[in-house]
Formats: sequence, structure tokens, C-alpha cells
Amino acid sequence: MSVVPKVLIVDDDQDFRASVRALLESHGYRVLEAESGHEGLRKVADDTPDVILLDIMMESSVEGYGITHSLRYRDEFAAYRGIPIIMVSSIEKSPDDSYAMSPEVEMIRPDAYLTKPLDIDKFLKLLREVTSSAHV
Amino acid sequence: MSSPAERETIVVIDDDYAMRLSCRKILEKSGFNVETFEDGVQGLEGVARLKPGLVVVDLKMPGMSGLEVIGRVHAIDPDIILVVITGYATIDTAVEAMKTGAYDFLPKPFAPDELRLIVNRGFERRRLVLEGRQYEVERALLKRRFITFVSHQLQTPLVAVHQYLDVLKHLGDHPDVAEKREEWIHRCLQRIEAMQVMVKEWLELSAVESEGFARSRDRVDLKVVIADIFAAYQPHAEAAQVSLESDLPDGCSVAGDRHCVAVLFDNLIANAVKYNRPGGKVTVGAEIQSGEVRISVADTGIGIPEKYIPFLFDEFFRVRDEATRNTSGSGLGLAICRKVTAEMGGQITVESKVEEGSVFRVSLPAWRQKESNAA
Repeated sequence: MSVVPKVLIVDDDQDFRASVRALLESHGYRVLEAESGHEGLRKVADDTPDVILLDIMMESSVEGYGITHSLRYRDEFAAYRGIPIIMVSSIEKSPDDSYAMSPEVEMIRPDAYLTKPLDIDKFLKLLREVTSSAHV
Repeated sequence: MSSPAERETIVVIDDDYAMRLSCRKILEKSGFNVETFEDGVQGLEGVARLKPGLVVVDLKMPGMSGLEVIGRVHAIDPDIILVVITGYATIDTAVEAMKTGAYDFLPKPFAPDELRLIVNRGFERRRLVLEGRQYEVERALLKRRFITFVSHQLQTPLVAVHQYLDVLKHLGDHPDVAEKREEWIHRCLQRIEAMQVMVKEWLELSAVESEGFARSRDRVDLKVVIADIFAAYQPHAEAAQVSLESDLPDGCSVAGDRHCVAVLFDNLIANAVKYNRPGGKVTVGAEIQSGEVRISVADTGIGIPEKYIPFLFDEFFRVRDEATRNTSGSGLGLAICRKVTAEMGGQITVESKVEEGSVFRVSLPAWRQKESNAA
């Protein structure tokens, strides 16, 4: 892989973004940050990331689902449809409990789902898989 | 005249044709939508289809008895009101019907007004039950929302702290993290302190909500209370370059709970410092008027946009905009202020101008000498 993969972190907690940014930079990733879904969509268009780490709950609403839907279905974002989305949440205990992974909501199904706080080894492994397949 | 769609429906089940006809006439005249059936089986089918608010049923019918009909109607919808008509008005049959869940009974023969009266009372009863149920549902929803909100409010900082520590552990002596370690530890401590404040305020709020709290009527000298709070906030205020001033008349005492009064003004003064600007001031004033002490806590800060004022005293409400993005808070402080003020028989209001400041006004019952004599 010749290009350093870019990860966009969309999360409204600045401390969570700071720790994940440091982790990713130490492992050679480039990091973009957005503190709201709206800013996230703008960042996607400005500086297309290779993968998006997206919090479901921002400002007490399930904004993450709306962003996923926009990225997958809105015409303005057609060029970014293939960017893998890793959804994260501290509310649901496991991916199996998650609304996002239930069969009825195929439209907003992320490529992967992780709970917060992130299990670092699992997270890095997932990122390697996701970014390498995206670059093949 | 109400439209047919809004009309309440009544189902009448009676094997006697004349009785069905007279019930229909009487009740239709009162504006009800009436359907009649000649036996229990057809009647139940009608109840399931028409979803009436009230059913009038004859106790003594061939085939399915009135008592059995009562049980089956309630199996369809327990909120349907049942009025029983009984040919032999003995206490026994009536009592049995009531035990089975009937609302009331009407002995034959009856006057039209007797039927109307009992039916109207039945609908009144139904309305009260349904409204009560609605209230219960709303309460349960509110409670669930509260729990979800609290868990999210605590979950978020816990995750942030946990993630910092995990990453610190993972990176070990990595040069990238050396410079960050101190800042991160500082941030972790800040987040933990914020959680502690939130838990403390949450407990205070539930203490105020629980009975028996804030009921004591002590003589609380505001000069002493405010001086104590100013002393506690002096370092904060100096760091923020905000001056603290008070102008309280002598004998400025309120009748209230000492702890509640302290919590109330602690919150208001903390906010007045927090949402102020360098070079600004916080002014606490008071006047005694017709048995009340009216206290004002004024700041020269960022002010509150008018659209947020109606929600300002709600639990967990926080103004989120550019002006407040670097402040933290649980969103409970003013909710607590409103609760304790109300508990002490007072009122709290706010006036504000964006970029000029806010004035919180509290009125509390003044302390009277005779209260101390009575005590």
C-alpha cells in the first residue's frame, strides 16, 4: 500500500477523538476528525477518508444512522458509497443487541460494529482488514 | 352536535325485543351510537367488531348468561364499562354481577332518565380510567427517558477516560504519547470531577423530590449564606477575572431549609461566575416586600438566547451553542434551583439579554418573629 490510509473519526466527545487519534497516528494512519454528523459529511467530501469511525449517539440523538443513510443513498454522496463505515456505540452492550445490526435495518447497516471503549487489538485488526480490502 | 365519528358507541344485549328497542331510543336521543343484539354470542361478536365504550347487558337470557357475557367482554377489552339490567332486582344477582366486573346495575322496569344517568356516569368513569392510564404511561416514559439520559451522561465520560487509559497502556513508552501523558491525565481528572458533580446533583435532586425534605422552616440569614458562598467561589472568580458584589439589607432572613437555601444560591452564583466574561461582575441584591424576600443574582455574562428560556429550568437542559461550547455542566443545576425554591414556597424567574447578562430572581418567604415564638 503506497498511500497512508486516512481514518475519519466522527464523534462528539473531544477526549475520545484525542485518544483514538493518538492511537491511530502511532500506527501510521492519517486522522481526520469531525464532532458532528454534519461536519463528518463535509469532511468526507473535502478530504475523502478510507474508512469512517462513526458514533451512533451524538448530542443525544441517533445521528450516526442518519449519516450512514446519507452516505449510502443520497446522490450527492454517490462517489463515497464504498467507504467502509465502522459504527461505534457505548449504549448497546454487544453488536447482537444493536439496532444497526438487526435484519430490518439493512439500509443503515454499517460494515462493522464495535462497542466503546474500543478493544484496541480488535479495532486495529479490523482497520487493517477494512483498509487493505478497500485498496485492493 | 358532534359528528357520528366522535359519538360514543353503546352495545345493548338483551333477548327482549321491546327492551332493545327502548334502550336504543333512549340512548340515541342522548346522542349515542347504539347497536343491539339478541343474545350473548352475537353480542360478543358485535363488541369485538364495534369496540364500544359501554355495554348494557341483560343478566337473564337464554343461552349464554349475562354473567358470562361480562367476563368475555372484559377479555376483549377490560376498559369497557358494563351496565347490567336485571329482571329480578334482588341484591344477590346484582352483587354477583358487580363482583364479575359490572360497573352498575339497573332493575327493570326503569325510567329513561335512570338509564341515561347510569350510562353517563359509566362513560365518566371510563374517561377517568383512560386518562389515569395515559398519565401512568407518560410517567413511565419520562422515567425511562431519565434513566437513558443519565446512563448516557455517565457512559460518555466513562468511555472517554477508559479509552485514554487503554491507549496510554497500549502505547507504553511510545514517543508520541510522552508529551500527551500529562494532558491526558489532566483531562481524565476533569471528566471524573464532572461525573462526581453530576452524581452529587442527581442525588440532591432526588432528595428534594423525596418526601420530607426541604420542609423545615429555619431562620436563614442570607448575608451569612451569601458570604460563605462568595468565600468559596473567590478563587474561581479571581481566576476568571470576575468580581463578586453583594448588597443585602440588614435583617434579610428567609424562612426555609438551611441546606436548600445554600444549594440554591450556590448554583446561581456558580453559574453567574461560569457564564461571565473577564472584567465582569456578579451582583447579589435583595429587598424585603410584603412578607417576601426578593433576591436577585445578576451577572454581566454571555446571556441566554430567548428561545432557550422556557427550557432553562428543565432537567438535563443545557444551552448548546458557540458561547457555551467550552463549558461543562450536568444540566441539573437550575432544575434543582426550581425544585428547592418551590419546596420552600417561593418562585424563581430569569431575565436575560444575549451578550449583556442574566438576572435570576428568587422570592422566598421572609422570616417573621412570630414564627420563632411559635416554635
